[in-house]
Amino acid sequence: MIKLTGITKSFGRQQVLQGIDLQVEKGEVVVILGPSGSGKTTLLRCINYLERPNEGRIEIGDFEVDCGRASKKDIYALRGKTAMVFQHYNLFKHKTVLENVMEGLVIVQKMPKETARRRSVEVLEKVGLGEKLDAYPSMLSGGQQQRVGIARALALNPEVILFDEPTSALDPELVGEVLAVIRRIAKEGITMIVVTHEMGFARDVANHVVFMDGGVIVEEGAPRDIFNKPREERTKQFFKRIMPEPAYSI
Amino acid sequence: MGEKFDIGYVFTFFPKLAGTLQTTLIIVGGALLTSLIVGFLVALPRLYKVPVLQRLSQLYASFFRGTPILIQLFLFYYGLPEILKLVNIDVSRAPVLVFVILTYGLHTGAYVSETIRSAVASVDRGQVEAAYSVGMSGYQAFTRIVMPQALAIAVPVLSNVILALLKDTSLAFSLGVMEMTGKSQTLAALTNHFVESYISLALIYLVISMVLERLLIILERRLLRHESRAADPFPVFRRERFRRIRQWFTRERSVRLREEAQ
Ligand SMILES: Nc1ncnc2c1ncn2[C@@H]1O[C@H](COP(=O)(O)OP(=O)(O)OP(=O)(O)O)[C@@H](O)[C@H]1O
Ligand SMILES: [Mg+2]
Repeated sequence: MIKLTGITKSFGRQQVLQGIDLQVEKGEVVVILGPSGSGKTTLLRCINYLERPNEGRIEIGDFEVDCGRASKKDIYALRGKTAMVFQHYNLFKHKTVLENVMEGLVIVQKMPKETARRRSVEVLEKVGLGEKLDAYPSMLSGGQQQRVGIARALALNPEVILFDEPTSALDPELVGEVLAVIRRIAKEGITMIVVTHEMGFARDVANHVVFMDGGVIVEEGAPRDIFNKPREERTKQFFKRIMPEPAYSI
Repeated sequence: MGEKFDIGYVFTFFPKLAGTLQTTLIIVGGALLTSLIVGFLVALPRLYKVPVLQRLSQLYASFFRGTPILIQLFLFYYGLPEILKLVNIDVSRAPVLVFVILTYGLHTGAYVSETIRSAVASVDRGQVEAAYSVGMSGYQAFTRIVMPQALAIAVPVLSNVILALLKDTSLAFSLGVMEMTGKSQTLAALTNHFVESYISLALIYLVISMVLERLLIILERRLLRHESRAADPFPVFRRERFRRIRQWFTRERSVRLREEAQ
């Protein structure tokens, strides 16, 4: 279980997160929606400390950290329990597909090379890249690169995988293959927090939907409730803007 | 000036000059090593924006890039012992070569630090974040992710710096170091065959430059393996050269044919 309590974050005078409370059960897929600038990326980055929150608590399983005074050790521990899939993939460009996935296992988790290789190959096959082990990222399509990004996160065996708009940098015809992979690993019961603008995907993969605006969680709940009968005016406005035809029916 | 031109001297001078190649290479090697260490150390405060050190490293780079190497040599050779004498260190017995290597090292270091700085800055921040997100420390992210890529970017620029260094060492003879240029002066003066001596000298520099360039290109290709889309180990480069050579021949021939026809 993951529990965030009172997470705040400011950039200069602008308070981007104004006290976020969020609870994610084990195996759950939480989708975060919200207009641009609402703080979705910042929230994900705070969860694995790419951004230092000003205040708040992060609990993952029985690990717990007070963000105001996290030590280096806390930060590494937190990063050990989370993994991130980036909007722009952020693959290591000088390493092959296989090396990209093995890197964290060998260097951080100190796994023996052979074990790491076996684990990496297994994960890469799962995302459909068993044939591309020795390719460099520059030889792959965007969709393939993002699947490597997913494999890299998945191989680490984290408590939660954080996805920040994993398909928004892709050509439309490549979105499907990446979403299919995320769907598949969601079915395996891996806990995920996903920021996305893919409403169809959100609707059928999410167990829980969170709507953010202006650095706060405006409303959250089961997907059918949020999509079909949003309570808050801001949520309604948001859906109206991105889905002109009210297509929400189940 | 001097004796009548005799190409034979070019060949007799050649091995004699090549005999002092060692001194030249010691200067190049020593200075290169110094410059890589100094350049790296000086680049760090600018990469990490360390307040005072950052200014100092900028000052260092401006001085060594903005003044002639010959002046730097004189300043170090004549000036440094004077300054050290003030603090009671006597370096008057230190070999000239030490001053020469130090000067070239610091001079080249200024260019190296600039190169390292821009190469590191050009590796995208996202990869560093990805490294952190898989749990790497700052040191691991730098050595395993940033540095190898920065190196690949830096090598072509460093190649130029190294070739410039090789050629600049010819000024060391002005402090009386018997490296290749110094030797060629001596040979020329002894025999009065100046031009032959300089031709011979130019040839040696040319050969070393070409060998160095080749080696650096091989290194660069190795480091840039991940960039080439083709699996072919001699991609565009070779094919392109063959194409040019062929083109050149065919163009020549067609011109000649046209002339003959007229
Ligand atoms: N490093 C930073 N420095 C200063 N301001 C920042 C920084 N990162 C984000 N912000 C600001 O914080 C606010 C929230 O940004 P964030 O990226 O979290 O939004 P988002 O919900 O992910 O938006 P989008 O849908 O466009 O990705 C924005 O106003 C942004 O300008
Ligand atoms: Mg964002």
